[in-house]
Amino acid sequence: MNRSAATRAALAVAVLAPLVVVALAVGLTTGAGAMSLRGALNGVEPDATVLFRLRVPRVLLAAEVGAALSVAGVALQALLRNPLADPFVFGLSGGAAIGTAVVVAASGTSVGAAAMSAASLTGLLPAQLAAVAGAMAAALLVFALGRARGRLEPTRALLVGVVFNSFASAVVLSVEAILKPEQTQAVLLWLSGTLGYEALPLLAGAGVALLVPALVLVALAGRLNLLALGDEGAAALGVDVARTRLLAFFAASAAVGISVAFTGLVGFVGLVVPHAVRLLTGPDHRVVLPASALAGAAFLVLADALSRMLFHGLGAEPPVGAVTAMVGAPLFVALLWSRR
Amino acid sequence: MTPLLEARELHYRHRSDAPEAVAGASVGVRAGEVVGVIGPNAAGKSTLARLCCGLLTPHAGEVLLRGTPLSRLPRRERARRVAFLPQQQPADLTFTAREVALMGRAPHLGLWSLEGPRDRARAAAALAEADAADLADRPVTQLSGGERQRVFLARAFAQDAALLLLDEPTASLDLAHQVLLVNALRRRAREGGGALLVLHDLALAGAACDRLVLMLAGRVLAEGTPAEVLRPEVLSPAYSTQVDVVPDPATGQPLVAPRIAR
Repeated sequence: MNRSAATRAALAVAVLAPLVVVALAVGLTTGAGAMSLRGALNGVEPDATVLFRLRVPRVLLAAEVGAALSVAGVALQALLRNPLADPFVFGLSGGAAIGTAVVVAASGTSVGAAAMSAASLTGLLPAQLAAVAGAMAAALLVFALGRARGRLEPTRALLVGVVFNSFASAVVLSVEAILKPEQTQAVLLWLSGTLGYEALPLLAGAGVALLVPALVLVALAGRLNLLALGDEGAAALGVDVARTRLLAFFAASAAVGISVAFTGLVGFVGLVVPHAVRLLTGPDHRVVLPASALAGAAFLVLADALSRMLFHGLGAEPPVGAVTAMVGAPLFVALLWSRR
Repeated sequence: MTPLLEARELHYRHRSDAPEAVAGASVGVRAGEVVGVIGPNAAGKSTLARLCCGLLTPHAGEVLLRGTPLSRLPRRERARRVAFLPQQQPADLTFTAREVALMGRAPHLGLWSLEGPRDRARAAAALAEADAADLADRPVTQLSGGERQRVFLARAFAQDAALLLLDEPTASLDLAHQVLLVNALRRRAREGGGALLVLHDLALAGAACDRLVLMLAGRVLAEGTPAEVLRPEVLSPAYSTQVDVVPDPATGQPLVAPRIAR
């Protein structure tokens, strides 16, 4: 047990990296249609298109989002000192929902439709942009309201986040009353988390953009450990508690924001992956953060593969957010029980 | 030689509408010295300790660590000069005792907070010094109150700060571990360190400390050697209780006992 944090982190990565490779292989070879991998690699159509235009982008997106949400979950649980915190705890889900619903509703009006088509010219979907803007605005609001006497109080912030998300659902339900049924369904589907097909350069950009918050959080890992001692305990060891919280909050929110822009609200990953990882590695964030990134990537790639397999039985793909919860919850409980 | 700690005329109130918790108290610790702060509840002892390590900033007055104003030291440099142990330790930590001891090395680590062999050796030595080496691989959640206190003492020792500020360090320790702690503090003092202890056990304060500071209502009421401070005419009014002091038949140290009618 007396190994350094660096050694334990390397060990966890060595154990989990093959799992990611397996997940990627499964993700690339499963789908609604039949595809010959050899054919695709030799440029045979339509197999090549299926592999390179559909499956590779989708698997990469799943891996990126799974890693980002898991890392954000770890950070938020540490900075709020609460194991129930998930990536959307700062009102992000509510904010994203309001943003999307409002934009979809506005697209029914002439001004809204004009704004939508203008935004579409830039290659970005207005509903996605609105979701990210809504999520970020909500996070800032909750972070600001969660403060007392100049510093963030975890319990207060959690309560504000929960209350805000309830308020947001009420707003969304009210907006939905004026939407057409197909618009309502589009909003619902998107909010429950779906993986689409993005262009490779965009995915590469997102990957680089996600690396920044991930590295910030890994650099903060030692200080996140000390936060477990309480604000005073951490401060007595030279930690600038307020600055650490602020940095971790912004890094986690950036990671979540980028994920939300691509996939909507994929729940459960950011809550459960960190806990499952901690059961195996212990609480040290210098180990938990890189391990959660890998485990989260593998988890979401596999969940997405499963949702595509379900196409065969259901005739339609369930949103990946539903699959993560349906498969992840029993898995997690099983893991908890085996570790009693 | 410049004292490890010099706190001059400190004033602090927790809220603007509250009376001053510390109202012009001064205290100092020289290298080689163990100083005890005693006094009734709410006398300002813990607040004074927090002011001395920078967890609280005084509204007036000044704290010097080896001659340098605390306010001018970066946080991590403060933590390398003074280790603070609060009264209560968190019980819900899933970290092991060894990991907690290693946390004491935090102010010495670089950007990625990765400890080296030297840090792990220091943490192991600190665990041994606090008689917690056999607890090293146990999570803190599984420890008793006294065991937890020893682990957190190890964390304070591992910090390698010349000055230790310990708030009620013996409250949950059994007699053997109280003696062990006092011996460790005395040994550190001989090696040029110093300690400021907040204590309620007056007999222990008399036995462990070179100097005692008696606080009441945020002020220093009396200061001096244990023999000078631990006298009935000083203690009884401060604690609003009739107190007897008798010399220990073996060592001559003052033994303090409240007079309880029954």
